Amino acid sequence: MGRIPLQVYFFAGSSRIMAHFLLKSSELSFSLPIKAIVDTGSPVTLIGNSDLKRMRLSSLQIRKLVGEHKEVNMGGGKVVTKVLENANLKFGNEFNVEMSVQFPIDSNNKNNQPSLLGVDFMLKTKSKLVFNPNKSEAYFEIDD
Amino acid sequence: MTNQELQVLENFEKDSEWFHKNIVKLRKDGFNEKFVAIKDSKPIASGKNADNVIKQIEKNGENPSFIFIEFVYPEGFTLIL
Repeated sequence: MGRIPLQVYFFAGSSRIMAHFLLKSSELSFSLPIKAIVDTGSPVTLIGNSDLKRMRLSSLQIRKLVGEHKEVNMGGGKVVTKVLENANLKFGNEFNVEMSVQFPIDSNNKNNQPSLLGVDFMLKTKSKLVFNPNKSEAYFEIDD
Repeated sequence: MTNQELQVLENFEKDSEWFHKNIVKLRKDGFNEKFVAIKDSKPIASGKNADNVIKQIEKNGENPSFIFIEFVYPEGFTLIL
């Protein structure tokens, strides 16, 4: 049984579980470290606006993202996204997973939506989340 | 993961940790309600708009892809996801 260590920080009004990983795409030729809030209320993994801007994707690269423009409801607001399939999420040397992630595509969107690691990650990796907010401890437990 | 990738991720994680442990100080130092870029446990760029912060980083010859950037939410603000 493997573990992915997570961090617990007080951020934006609450204790949040944070995952740090390298997001890679051979198709779009980028490699980007990401901090994402682990959000068991989100069915999808979503890249935040400022992380998207750090990627500096060209319009040609954005055109390679698949799917219809999809509206995702976020905390009462809406984010329009497209999907990057076969993205690689690498957690240190120990663990990596290939899965789809959603990208906001409205470049004029000024909201500060953070990146989210959703339940899709846990389903894909068959992992369990262990979280003790009293001790600021969290990790994913993954069956080998 | 290559050694270089591992180093990038470790540096990013350290700067993330520094950001979260020093958020009260960042607010006091004038970064409240701004995006701030952290490198080697120091703010290196900031602004109300993430695009401007990225431009500042590029101007300094750095690659923004590898730099930790986060918004400093004000004290008492709760983000509902």
